[in-house]
Amino acid sequence: MAVASPPVRRRIDRLERIWAERPGVLGWLTTVDHKRIGLLYFWTTLVFFAAGGAEALAMRTQLSQPEEKAIGPATYDQLMTMHGVTMIFFFIIPMTTGAFGNYLVPLMIGARDMAFPRVNALSYWIFLGSGIFIYSSFLIHSAPDAGWFDYVPLALKRYDGGLNIDFYALGLIFNAVSSTVASVNMIVTIFRLRAPGMSWNRMPLFCFAMLAASLSLLLALPALVLDCVFLELQRKVGFHFFDVAHGGSPLLWQHLFWFFGHPEVYIIVLPAFGIATSIIPTFARRKMVAFPLVAMAELLVAFIGFGVWAHHMFATGISSSVLVLFGAASMMVVIPSTIQVYAWLVTVNLGTPIFRAPLLFIGGFITFFVLGGLSGIMFAAIPLDQATTDTYFVVAHFHFIIFGAAVFPLLGGIYYWFPKVTGRMYDERLAIASFWVTFVGTALTFFPMHIVGLLGMTRRVYTYQHGLGWGIYNLLETIGGYILAAGLLMIAGNIAWSMRRGIPSGRDPFNGGTLEWATSSPPPHYNFAVIPTVRSAYPNWDEEDRENDLLRLEDDELVLSTGHETPLSTVNDAALDRVAEMPPESPWPIVVAFAVSIAFALVLTTHYVAAAAFFAAAVAAVGAWNLNEPEEA
Amino acid sequence: MTTSAATTYDLGHARPNGWWAMVLFVAGETTLFLMLFATYFYLRLQSRHWPPPGVDKPAVLVPSLLTAALVATSFAMQRAWRNGRLLNRVAALRWLALAGIVQGGYLIWQVHDFVDACHKEPPSHSAYSSIHLTMLAIDHLHVFLGILLTAWLLMRFATRITPYRLRTLQATAFYWHAVNVITVVVLLVDLSPHVG
Amino acid sequence: MTPLSRHGRLLPALGLVVLLAGCGGNENTLDPHSRAEGKITQIFWVVFGFSAFGFGVVVFLLFLGWWRRSKETLPFGGGEKAATGLVVGAGVALPIVLLVALFVYADLFAMKATGAPPRGSAQLTIDVTGHQFWWEVRYEGTSAVTANEIHVPTNTRVAIVTHTADVIHSFWIPELNRKMDMIPGQSNRVLIDATKPGVYAGHCAEFCGLQHAHMVVLVFAQPRAAFDRWLARESKPVSGSPPPEFTTKGCADCHQVRGTQAKGHVGPDLTHFASRTTLGAARLTNTRTNVAEWLRDPQGVKPGNKMPDLGLSNADVQTLTSYLESLR
Ligand code: HEA
Ligand code: HEA
Ligand code: HEC
Ligand code: CUA
Ligand SMILES: [Cu+2]
Repeated sequence: MAVASPPVRRRIDRLERIWAERPGVLGWLTTVDHKRIGLLYFWTTLVFFAAGGAEALAMRTQLSQPEEKAIGPATYDQLMTMHGVTMIFFFIIPMTTGAFGNYLVPLMIGARDMAFPRVNALSYWIFLGSGIFIYSSFLIHSAPDAGWFDYVPLALKRYDGGLNIDFYALGLIFNAVSSTVASVNMIVTIFRLRAPGMSWNRMPLFCFAMLAASLSLLLALPALVLDCVFLELQRKVGFHFFDVAHGGSPLLWQHLFWFFGHPEVYIIVLPAFGIATSIIPTFARRKMVAFPLVAMAELLVAFIGFGVWAHHMFATGISSSVLVLFGAASMMVVIPSTIQVYAWLVTVNLGTPIFRAPLLFIGGFITFFVLGGLSGIMFAAIPLDQATTDTYFVVAHFHFIIFGAAVFPLLGGIYYWFPKVTGRMYDERLAIASFWVTFVGTALTFFPMHIVGLLGMTRRVYTYQHGLGWGIYNLLETIGGYILAAGLLMIAGNIAWSMRRGIPSGRDPFNGGTLEWATSSPPPHYNFAVIPTVRSAYPNWDEEDRENDLLRLEDDELVLSTGHETPLSTVNDAALDRVAEMPPESPWPIVVAFAVSIAFALVLTTHYVAAAAFFAAAVAAVGAWNLNEPEEA
Repeated sequence: MTTSAATTYDLGHARPNGWWAMVLFVAGETTLFLMLFATYFYLRLQSRHWPPPGVDKPAVLVPSLLTAALVATSFAMQRAWRNGRLLNRVAALRWLALAGIVQGGYLIWQVHDFVDACHKEPPSHSAYSSIHLTMLAIDHLHVFLGILLTAWLLMRFATRITPYRLRTLQATAFYWHAVNVITVVVLLVDLSPHVG
Repeated sequence: MTPLSRHGRLLPALGLVVLLAGCGGNENTLDPHSRAEGKITQIFWVVFGFSAFGFGVVVFLLFLGWWRRSKETLPFGGGEKAATGLVVGAGVALPIVLLVALFVYADLFAMKATGAPPRGSAQLTIDVTGHQFWWEVRYEGTSAVTANEIHVPTNTRVAIVTHTADVIHSFWIPELNRKMDMIPGQSNRVLIDATKPGVYAGHCAEFCGLQHAHMVVLVFAQPRAAFDRWLARESKPVSGSPPPEFTTKGCADCHQVRGTQAKGHVGPDLTHFASRTTLGAARLTNTRTNVAEWLRDPQGVKPGNKMPDLGLSNADVQTLTSYLESLR
């Protein structure tokens, strides 16, 4: 940056002062800065990832050979359920939407924060509360133990009388509150806070992916919440939804769960598609091919995703004529994915790619995503699914496609945006080594599961007998699991070491195309000294626009250094509508989240009146939060 | 943003963030009710007798009148918004108060009938009474949330109007229109045993 | 930078899958012993072929991207427009053609072979009821009741009608047909028509609790004559009465021995227990020492199963074991 003139220096100092937050831990507890909330999500979900990983390795150790005695059935059932629930609800979705989404979307659309900063903090603290709530079940050896999709009647009080399933149902409702609030916040941010000029055809594909994921999340969660409400009402208050004797139906649980379940898996993978479409243009050094097609594909996969849910119920005896419809829908849902896969591949081929660590992870991502996707197509062939459902073939499908298609881009994204978040470079050689170890670990852990699944090994068995030919494959998977853990620890080590001792990276080491690279690394609390103007989908590559920003900074055009302000633009063409005053940091989010957490704990222990009191307290706190609201918003 | 004594505030031509948040929240709640209706008819398909023998069909007259009264409050809320928009604070306050009273009366009566129903055909009796009562309870909860918003606006408009409070009224009016539509559909679904 | 294409390592691994068509225990989905399972295996190899091709194309394009990383055009010289064309062609047109073909072949035609046998289309009907952690087997039209081991005549359309006494289980014999869930309030039907005599095993395929892992079912496919002899013996009640311990220690409350006062229905029918080759849903082979071990400590053998430890003395164990071995 050229030496700033005095008026510019004054404006920037004013921005620093207005947007500064309390120092120290207190600052983090009351923060509303989307970047700090993103980092809080990042570190919290990494801890849950480690927990889920430890559960996975414990299972793998128990399954490494037939008739192992390391873990008994009761403990194993809790481990496998908590592994699934942790990885999906407490790692992969909050990491991609909460950490990456919160940190990057405002930066990519040229805004200073999310649309509702305090609500953003609220969704993090409620998320943390729900995580602590469900993990406290381990303290009394009553973690959920009926699988991550918790079918009834096994999940009813008669067959699972402890608090295990109450922890599951209340924990997911608790978590859903956070996800719903976060998705509304993300959608309104993308609708209203795009920098002037960033019409829909100029919005980064990462934001399209986040928009599709947030819309799916908003419209899919009610099915899960209602399912869990029905389950709790039946378990605790004696209602009848799922027991045939009183006119209920066990398949009701499955229909409602999977109506949420399949959109959920696209919610998992969509942000990862967004990360991939951010990394590929930068390292292939050219724009994404068929931009509108890819953007449309991201929205389409979320939409079709709502129509395929019963492909998880092909073996339940539903009439074939109904199943065929879902088989057809499951075939159609493939098209958006093939569009994106070929768009990525052609972009890499058209460009002059440099295979640094982030792009290597995208190579691994495409390999495993296609492998996992193809086994997905095998399930759409109904008789084949009816033979492989509930076996390790399905476990192979979803681990390849979740680990391959969601975790690999995420790991690549950690390396890619590491300089932006810390201002330092990761170690490239260690990063490439960590890719290869993780790649081999993933292949060795999950590929043999295809084979042992076809050999008849069903899911959720805590052990298996000799003479079935399963031992060799399970041993390979366990070895692979430890190699995979080693690879992930190498990545964790790389970022931990480089955070302090990595060489300074400068503002934009990879010459990225999107706006987060147009501001300093790490970005200041206010993100941009001057709100950038946008004339293409890769604004950071439009040098003259960025030079122009410096001139606009001189003439105080959209510097907005008089208050805690960010511009609002119109939905359809992102024309500047007006400037809004954003709320400063506030203690209310953590207070409301605390009250809600106590309320859920009281519902769990059947103190309903006290629980109602705490919910009322939470509502009152929201009221108090809004008492001194600004004049205009 | 000028706040001269214009006949109204310039709220900008794009809808405010709060309004968008309310629209999205309502979209989520609508999905929740669609799931409830799907469950209701799914359970009905599964059972031979709906409602089961010994349980009489829900009353028609009183719930219909109550729902009609609630729907009418949409008109009052719209009047409150129109007056608020033209900065007639007292008129807006009066329409809000009227709406609040009818909404409160509706909810008290419905909760009374609800508790009554819980004793007469307890949810532990059958899937019919379980889904019937749960659907009503969730609808009443949404009405209760609406009443909280109306009360909040009454408190705010008692002192003065600001653009922020106008936006809250605009979003609340939208919420009430949605809840009223949903309540009508809940009534129709609840009365469906009378039809075939 | 990357000496060996990062994906070369994966291709030989794919070959492993081909190997398994022959080996493995007798629960190999791709080693069919019925027409229905033959059709499933055929679908697998067809889709596997297309998938290998599709995967190969993708890996090739990735490798190509690495190999030609310094060139700015597509191999055949195309630019931006050709690129979009390629995305539409390979990403939309080709998959639609392949997927429609797969849908018609697998979901419209092949599905007829694995569909539920219509009522009255089977020569023999067997009601199989899932319990937490064992299978109750009843032969329609006879008084034969057994557990965990299902005898069927070969080359005969046998309809298995699935029920459950508690949670959802799933009946599955990998080498004979697809799996069929056992759902409260439903009686689903699946066809078993073994082409060759033999013992076909299957694990319960829907998580049903602590001992889901040891809920194994065995199907004994026999020539018609042998089956008829077995069924006749299985239908006959027992003459003579059980030792007093059988009643005093509570066995009779939970087990049925047809022809005696023991009428319990919590556990398996023991009328012809000795004719079964395994016990505890194939947790152990049916030998004298194993039966004694089971009676002494059922929770030790199968922790969490619904038969409690009954604190039997050694004498009780010996007496009851001998009695159980007499129930041919
Ligand atoms: C990120 C998560 C994710 C994603 C993206 C997907 C993607 C898909 N899934 Fe998967 N799935 C899960 C996560 C996911 N799934 C999970 C967690 C389960 C198990 C839940 C449980 O039971 O616990 C599951 C289970 C599951 C089942 C039920 C299996 C069973 O239990 O019986 C089915 C059935 O149809 C299915 C289908 C599909 C399909 C058709 C796709 C498609 O979207 C895939 C499309 C992608 C491609 C096809 C790749 C592109 C291919 C090419 C470019 C090559 C050329 C193409 C051709 C030759 C056509 N999945
Ligand atoms: C995002 C989803 C996700 C992810 C990433 C994983 C990751 C892994 N999973 Fe799985 N898994 C599921 C989702 C996932 N899983 C689901 C939904 C089920 C179904 C559950 C059910 O049936 O109900 C399942 C089930 C499942 C089973 C079947 C259990 C059964 O049916 O009995 C197995 C068996 O091996 C398994 C293994 C593994 C392994 C070895 C990993 C490895 O990848 C794990 C490696 C990770 C680590 C070792 C952690 C390392 C972490 C760090 C290095 C970060 C540390 C840094 C700090 C703390 C700062 N998983
Ligand atoms: C409270 C119920 C109960 C009592 C009492 C009981 N059993 Fe059982 N028994 C069961 C159940 C349930 C099983 C199936 C266990 C499994 O495989 O999961 C079983 C299994 C068995 C089996 C194995 C059957 C097979 O084919 O797998 C034998 C043999 C047996 N019991 C004998 C006895 C004897 C002898 C006694 C009395 C000393 C006894 N049982 C008392 C419930 C009971
Ligand atoms: Cu029965 Cu699993
Ligand atoms: Cu799915």
